[in-house]
Amino acid sequence: MIEFRKLTKSYDHKVNVVDQLDMVINDGELVVLIGESGCGKTTTMKMINRLIEPTSGEILVNGENVLAMNPIELRRNIGYVIQKVGLMPHMTVADNIELVAYLKKWDKKKRRQRSSELLDMVGLDPALYLDRYPHELSGGQQQRIGVARALAVNPDIILMDEPFSAVDPITREQLQEELIRLQDEVKKTIVFVTHDMDEALKLGDKIAVMKDGKIIQFDTPENILKNPINEFVEYFVGKDRLWKSPEMLFAQDIMHKRPTGVLADRTPAYALELMREKETEFLVVVDAPSDRPRHMLGVITPRELKGKGTVEKNKMRDLMRTNHPTVTERTNMVDVLSLMKTHHVRNIPVLGEEDGYFKGLITYGSIVNIITDAITEIESDEGKEVSHDQ
Amino acid sequence: MTSNVSFLEFFIGRLPEVLNQTVRHLSITGTAVFIAIMIGVPLGILITRNRQVAKVILSVANVMQTIPSLAFFGLMIPFLGIGRPLAIFVLFLYALLPIIKNTYTGIQGVDDSLTEAGRGMGMTNAQLLTMVELPLALPVMMAGIRIAAVINIGTATIAALIGAQGLGSFIFRGISMGSNNLILTGAVPAAVLALTVDFILGRVEIWLTPKGMRK
Ligand SMILES: Nc1ncnc2c1ncn2[C@@H]1O[C@H](COP(=O)(O)OP(=O)(O)OP(=O)(O)O)[C@@H](O)[C@H]1O
Ligand SMILES: [Mg+2]
Repeated sequence: MIEFRKLTKSYDHKVNVVDQLDMVINDGELVVLIGESGCGKTTTMKMINRLIEPTSGEILVNGENVLAMNPIELRRNIGYVIQKVGLMPHMTVADNIELVAYLKKWDKKKRRQRSSELLDMVGLDPALYLDRYPHELSGGQQQRIGVARALAVNPDIILMDEPFSAVDPITREQLQEELIRLQDEVKKTIVFVTHDMDEALKLGDKIAVMKDGKIIQFDTPENILKNPINEFVEYFVGKDRLWKSPEMLFAQDIMHKRPTGVLADRTPAYALELMREKETEFLVVVDAPSDRPRHMLGVITPRELKGKGTVEKNKMRDLMRTNHPTVTERTNMVDVLSLMKTHHVRNIPVLGEEDGYFKGLITYGSIVNIITDAITEIESDEGKEVSHDQ
Repeated sequence: MTSNVSFLEFFIGRLPEVLNQTVRHLSITGTAVFIAIMIGVPLGILITRNRQVAKVILSVANVMQTIPSLAFFGLMIPFLGIGRPLAIFVLFLYALLPIIKNTYTGIQGVDDSLTEAGRGMGMTNAQLLTMVELPLALPVMMAGIRIAAVINIGTATIAALIGAQGLGSFIFRGISMGSNNLILTGAVPAAVLALTVDFILGRVEIWLTPKGMRK
């Protein structure tokens, strides 16, 4: 766990480039620091391994005050990946990866074994790459080595300062995927600096949006997207972002929250009347009135009612279809859409993930609403300059 | 034509003496450069740690370089007397600047991202110096040493004037006796010597360039 307490850095004792930060980063979390150039991301990060000394405040790592530790020892126990990669050009890939292990006086055999293992882990064949020099690698491969080097002595904490910003977009995407996979495997506590919101949303367990040395919002990607705390965060995230990241949109964000249900013992005539009144052709059969939590029993459409309108003894529970697909509140939009497509349905009931209660209904209409909302928001922003200055 | 042939005869006749003076010449410059390395390299490293001090040292060394060598020899006679020690001392001072300067610029030239990475991985200052900065600066430092050596071989001819011997002694005797052959007997080996040393040190420079950085 990393904890900042009123962490402050000032170079001139006038402006705080990092200003009274309070923050807790839990074990195994990947936290992204994001913000405009000069907002203090790098400074914040470098104070963790004491490449920069704080002016005031504290940093605790696993409860221990970093400022009381030997900085050399501290740095050897914290992985560090920088934008410019910084591989030693006069050392082979193996020697580069093994650098920290060498500094920590591991014996040669153990070091070599570890570097081979790490090359494998970052997807490079040890037999091919161990003895190469950095200039014989592509930019993407170099940064893979940079990541492997940071993992060499298996530190709990890894600091990454815009590690993927110097490579082309395709390689960047690959490296991001690999990091996600790697992080699944090794579960490190990672502080990751970027100014690419897509990257932040993709990688972060949590995102800290910074401005002028302060953290404006520290939250999950989902909350940053859906509940930006102020105009700045909203501007920074971009109004259209939610729309660009459909995997961040969940059923509960799209669904009608007061869907029409019909009780199981209603007659076909009642159902037809209800459809007419609500202008819908899709009713969910439920076991309780709408003021109470209710379960979905099945669905009724005009097809099921065909020819049954006058047969009073047929109730909904006898006519309803029970094999209609459903989703839970946390199903994302991409999955919802593909489900609609494969089942050729225009309506999907949404059930509670834990309690299984009927929570809402996604219809073509609700999806169109989401799209039009996004479009009108983007358009309304085009004319006016969003103000986000100090 | 005839003078050429006679120069060759003249030269061959004095070959033992030429070899003898070449060795002296080399030993004066070699000693001077060696001492300059021993002092210049640490000084060059030291001043990378402090920009202000670097400025001062480099300008002092620059000024020294501009003093005409003849004047320099003259000025130093009261302190060191004439002879070999004086020659070595002055040549040492001349060799100092390129060595300090190239050590300094060589280390300064090491990419910031490398020193940052090194520091970030927990290298001590000494480790950073020996494992990163010096290996990477070595070719540039070597170029400085090469320049110093070549300049010194030329300047050392003048050292004959203050009784330090060397190839210059042929030249000055030749001048006073009006003998072109004698002048050439000193000048040609001095030039060949400078070229040879330049070539050899050039090779060393390539050899010292870390493998991963050779093009
Ligand atoms: N050595 C220094 N002396 C004075 N000011 C500095 C120094 N280093 C950084 N700063 C200032 O501190 C502020 C924060 O810098 P920092 O490098 O943390 O920004 P950043 O958020 O990482 O920006 P970027 O996205 O451009 O990397 C900047 O305004 C910068 O000018
Ligand atoms: Mg930065």
